[in-house]
Amino acid sequence: MPLPTDDDLVARWKDEPAPLLPLLHAFHDRDGHLSDDALRAVSAGLRVPLADLYGTVTFYHHFARFPPGTSAPRVCTGQVCRFQGGLELLEALRKDGATPMPCAGRCDDAVPVLEGHTVKVGRTCETLEARSSPLPPPNPDGLEECVFAAIREPGRATLEGYRATGGYEGLAAAVAGAPETLLTTITDSGLAGRGGAGFPTGVKWRAVRDAAGGPKTVVCNADEGEPGCFKDRAIMDHDPHAVLEGMALAGYASGAHVGFVYLRYEYPETAAVLERAIREAEEAGVLGDDVLRSGFAFRVHVRRGAGAYICGEEGSLLNSLEGKHPFPRERPPFPVTHGYDDLPTVVNNVETLASAAQIARRGADWYRGLGLGEHAGTKVISLSGDVLRPGNYEVPFGFPLRTLLHDWAGGPGEGRTIQAVTMAGISGGFLAGDDLDVTLDEPAVRAKGSMLGAAGIMVFDDTRDMLEVAHACMEFFAHESCGKCFPCRIGTQRLTERLAGAAGPDALDGWSGEVRDIGAVMKATSACGLGMAAPLVTESLMRYWPERVAEHVESLS
Amino acid sequence: MTTHDHRTAEDAEALTARLTLDGVEVPFAPGETLLEVSRRHRKDVPTLCYDPRLDPFGGCRLCVVELEGSRNPVASCARAAEDGMVVRTTSETLEGYRKTLVEMVCSENRQVDVDPLSGYASQELRELADRYEARTGRFEGKRSGRSKQDDDNPFILRDYDQCISCYRCVRVCAEQEGDYAISVKGRGFDTQITVEFDGLLKDSACTFCGQCVQTCPTGALADRKALRHVDTPGEIEKTRTICTYCGVGCSVDVLTKGDTMVGVQPAMDGPANVGALCIKGQFAYDFVQHEERLKTPLVRGDDGELHPTTWEVALDKAAEGFVKARDEHGRHSIYAIASGRAPHEAAYTTQKFIRAGFWSNHVDNCSRA
Repeated sequence: MPLPTDDDLVARWKDEPAPLLPLLHAFHDRDGHLSDDALRAVSAGLRVPLADLYGTVTFYHHFARFPPGTSAPRVCTGQVCRFQGGLELLEALRKDGATPMPCAGRCDDAVPVLEGHTVKVGRTCETLEARSSPLPPPNPDGLEECVFAAIREPGRATLEGYRATGGYEGLAAAVAGAPETLLTTITDSGLAGRGGAGFPTGVKWRAVRDAAGGPKTVVCNADEGEPGCFKDRAIMDHDPHAVLEGMALAGYASGAHVGFVYLRYEYPETAAVLERAIREAEEAGVLGDDVLRSGFAFRVHVRRGAGAYICGEEGSLLNSLEGKHPFPRERPPFPVTHGYDDLPTVVNNVETLASAAQIARRGADWYRGLGLGEHAGTKVISLSGDVLRPGNYEVPFGFPLRTLLHDWAGGPGEGRTIQAVTMAGISGGFLAGDDLDVTLDEPAVRAKGSMLGAAGIMVFDDTRDMLEVAHACMEFFAHESCGKCFPCRIGTQRLTERLAGAAGPDALDGWSGEVRDIGAVMKATSACGLGMAAPLVTESLMRYWPERVAEHVESLS
Repeated sequence: MTTHDHRTAEDAEALTARLTLDGVEVPFAPGETLLEVSRRHRKDVPTLCYDPRLDPFGGCRLCVVELEGSRNPVASCARAAEDGMVVRTTSETLEGYRKTLVEMVCSENRQVDVDPLSGYASQELRELADRYEARTGRFEGKRSGRSKQDDDNPFILRDYDQCISCYRCVRVCAEQEGDYAISVKGRGFDTQITVEFDGLLKDSACTFCGQCVQTCPTGALADRKALRHVDTPGEIEKTRTICTYCGVGCSVDVLTKGDTMVGVQPAMDGPANVGALCIKGQFAYDFVQHEERLKTPLVRGDDGELHPTTWEVALDKAAEGFVKARDEHGRHSIYAIASGRAPHEAAYTTQKFIRAGFWSNHVDNCSRA
């Protein structure tokens, strides 16, 4: 088959919703990179200024402007992967033009290498192979799960398998009733945003329903870019219909008829899984113009990101989806009134939507009852690093961290002890020492000066140099800082330099003073969560390992 | 900077919405931001990414104010005033953040002090560095931005070593000028102001209107023509006038040092242009002091050549010609076009001369086109 022409590609996408990213991907896939001519064709085809388009394309890590482009491997050098041979693998693959990429969301199955649209995993060139992402390990205590309740059932990722295990029953019941009934169920369940912000889902859906103007939109935030987080990938790979069902529920409750899944670039197989699931659901009348013959119309489109952590921030995500430069937006106004195309929009995380599907089927009381004590529901934890059994574990809120680390995940390696963990991927900084005696719920973790967030937890045993870890974390934030606001753009750079010993005072007082002042201004004044969270890394480093910091600064003089 | 959209206190008084600003209850108009309300009440809230003509951006975060009920201070430029808000524009904590931010910004540039001829807003960073005593050398490290040294266009210096990524140039180009010539490449600390494919301005959509130069708060984008006069002795004086080039009537400030015209800056409070200019009004003034410019009248002699003479002789000669033309061909045989490069007084005199002198309306100005 001859390759499509520029005009073919433009014609294919120009009248689709949110066309810029898929059109760029179409050229990127065809040519392996985005040439000047490709950008000119996109600029003319979509009537976007060429300078803007050029600038925006250069924002994304994975859009290659020149050959070898997509044919060159990209090797994960995230925190966990660099303990498992990531850096050595990168060096070994340099002969093929390999470049590093930040955490690619496969910390439970290291080391991922992205080659075109295939993720291979392995710790050496010889063992690299393409294989499907791991299923969540069953929890040893047999605690009841929500999101993972049926994910291990064979065939669950197909429409047939999904329906055989209760799938779309919740949607069928919801669309047979009034949206109000569904809103009440979700609100009463206590479900709150599982991407980390924890905003009550029912309140959000209702706010969109009540907002003036339309058309309204549902956006599934599947840009799982937080280092150490790989839960959304597991959900989408093995239970894609749960996400689609959750989106349809959100649409029905809020009055939206269009949904987007904004999927991170590093999950190409997941994109294929989702596309297939959407096709199946539309063919079966589960999605489309007449959802389950209720008269309610709902369609879902997958839009792939192109490598930018900040696009997990909802304002950046919406700008990216609209084809704009992916800077965060000032809030208020919030997406519930000014979201996609400045119209009312539900933005929910993958896990939130998958939970909603279960809640619609099994009820608010059932879900509330899953949590421990006063906490409602469950949370999926992505656990990786120095534990014997890394993976995604669904725990009831209020579950003790140490039980998860030792009893469920097997603890550290033989003869080792756990020195520290990260929280919220790396956005919560570190917990160590007695602070590891914490329960997994937002109030408890916040009381330790951290946050649970999206609940990626990376584990470091007593052999790890936490200063080095902190440096790698800050380097990530600096790499991913969008450049919109001064405190984050300059702050992440300066903190990275100080942790690297590349610049800054060589006396402890001066060093600590600068690091504290930068951290304080970032936490208080940054334009979005990235800049506010990044200083938790240096803060917790200085709190738990003051001697290591002193030794580092001393070595500079 | 003067805003073009000042509401008077009386206008606001008529409104019922009120907020508490530094302990005083004040009225505000719908749609006003906290920064606008604050500045209207003469609160000296610092900014670097703010230009009152542009949409709120919230980049520099210097304008953060304390808002009761909000965990973190909020960017006042981007927050709409709401009834009942309690706002503090200054506190020890806020001033501490602001000082740190200015110190951080100073650390990314080659220098803080730039010549005021660089552009209208070019002293904003220097003034804040003075105000916050931020020349401490703290937070030193890698510098951001790379100057585009190969762009040798005669108008706009692209000294991005001095860039602080406030994106005022990008935004003014899009929002005010509609050119969309400038954009942002890369991200984070590696952010770089650029044009398509990193090229030269002359190969881009740039029209050399100079808007980016005049809104730049650090002189990273600077008026290359004006900078020729850095060493010309004398203080810079500004004289308000109207650009003569066309009928829009853009207000400009002509910059002089002694008797030398050294540059033009747009008037931000010009009613017709609100700070906007085009390449001609901004940069095309070299004819004023051009060495080839006529300084004495010339009259063509019997030999067919032009010869210097006195005004008396020249005017008599011209009058003689006009009278001859009128007498032989009638008053409508005379038609005057005033030059867009001549002063307004000359344009006025020209039409008066034709109307009163010849009873004719056959008069025009090349700038009407």
